[in-house]
Amino acid sequence: MTTVIMRTTARVIVPIILVVAVTLFVEGHNLPGGGFIGGVLTTTAFAVIYLAFGLDFLERGVLGRDVEPGKEPSRDRVVVAYRRLFEYGLAIAVLSGLVPLLFDRPFLTQTFVELEGVPIYDHVELASAVAFDLGVYCVVVGGLLTILSVVGAE
Amino acid sequence: MTEATDPAVLETTIRAAIVVVSALCVFCSYRVIRGPTDPDRVVALDAIATNVVAIAVLFAIQTDRGLFLTVSLVLAIIAFIATVAVAKFVTEGEVIE
Repeated sequence: MTTVIMRTTARVIVPIILVVAVTLFVEGHNLPGGGFIGGVLTTTAFAVIYLAFGLDFLERGVLGRDVEPGKEPSRDRVVVAYRRLFEYGLAIAVLSGLVPLLFDRPFLTQTFVELEGVPIYDHVELASAVAFDLGVYCVVVGGLLTILSVVGAE
Repeated sequence: MTEATDPAVLETTIRAAIVVVSALCVFCSYRVIRGPTDPDRVVALDAIATNVVAIAVLFAIQTDRGLFLTVSLVLAIIAFIATVAVAKFVTEGEVIE
């Protein structure tokens, strides 16, 4: 059992870590950051949840499902979802690399458009690298969380 | 920036601070290597991580580039998680229950 201090700290710190992860992911196409470090920080937020509340909390407390205590962790539906996220991320990354071939450009060619007059932000730079970054993000989050939840239960 | 801040003084102060914090890292590494118990080593490693965060912030001020603040932010988060995980391992014997 963890203390009340740890649980309260986790409640405060997990949203902060997730916001930093999203920031790094969004600014990744022209500043340091991107899919990998965003995914690592998201995994860190999940690691804090696992540390403070235990392995079953995500499935029982957040998703409201019943969990048998002695079950194999690799059969959990959350772990299945992590694996699926890994596979989808790999598919997104490969497909985003293949799209430029349709326009007679080399594999993984990237481009960007600049949008003017967007509400609140006014000037937005939309890069095609975000699609590849999203694939990397999903691969990192899915892979690391699978490792964390399966190895953590050993 | 106020008018009282002389750029030369700021530059000298930051350089001196980087030297001091780097020396503190070396002293902490002595405790990491020689530390009689594991908690000593964990506290020393946490202090080193905090020092590296300080170095990153000082370097951000010196070079006037905000991206090093991101470095310090990520490093502080990772160091916090690592310290909490080891503290839980020391007190309870397992990291994730």
